[in-house]
Amino acid sequence: MVDTAARKRTLAPWMGLLLTLLGALSNGLPFVGFPAAPVPWISLLLSLIGFVVVLLGLWGAFGQSTVYKGKLSGSIAAAFSLLFLAVAIVFFWDARHIPAESASAPQVGQLVPDFRLWDSAGHSVSLTQLFSGSAGKEPPKALLLVFYRGYW
Amino acid sequence: MPVAISVDAPEVSENLRRKRGYTFPFLSDQKAEVIRRYELLHPRGGPDGTDISRPAEFLIDRSATVRWENFTEDIRVRPRAGELLAAARAIR
Repeated sequence: MVDTAARKRTLAPWMGLLLTLLGALSNGLPFVGFPAAPVPWISLLLSLIGFVVVLLGLWGAFGQSTVYKGKLSGSIAAAFSLLFLAVAIVFFWDARHIPAESASAPQVGQLVPDFRLWDSAGHSVSLTQLFSGSAGKEPPKALLLVFYRGYW
Repeated sequence: MPVAISVDAPEVSENLRRKRGYTFPFLSDQKAEVIRRYELLHPRGGPDGTDISRPAEFLIDRSATVRWENFTEDIRVRPRAGELLAAARAIR
């Protein structure tokens, strides 16, 4: 006869759930001014590790049910952590899903085409004009054209 | 001097520029014509399936020649300032 009260609680599913949640949330870091440049894999990795920890907890609850309890709580944690893992995978895929056809974009050593666009003050400006400098300012030696996704 | 270019409307860019306190020009390419000419279009990459620009940076000298460029493989990964500054210092 197994003494149910003596079975140990396991925190593994909850720790794992927390990790997968942190992993999914960490995808938002670049949008609050914390670029993920050094570790683009961190969000996915956190969620993956978290999910493995949850699975270990489940294995404890079901495989060694004489030692550990928490079949129900472990299952709930597993369901949610799977959801957070899915979110992390979708974000990871989406962040790297950039069209590859930029092979014909201007390369180092090539000339970029001139253009004329509206600036945010409502003036029409061309690349040539940008190089000629504005009133009272010295013309720039170089320009850094920053194309960005917009919708900020 | 940096020049920011996106499909955002001038009012939207002006808002962003003010909020961040930037003083360099923000240009609007709402029909993505220049973005297309530079081969940087990300079809249906924006909200509601709108066409946007992929992130890309070009350092160009006064002859409009590209001296340094960066195409990220992950929109969360930004260019390294060191590389860019080294390329900029080489321009006389």
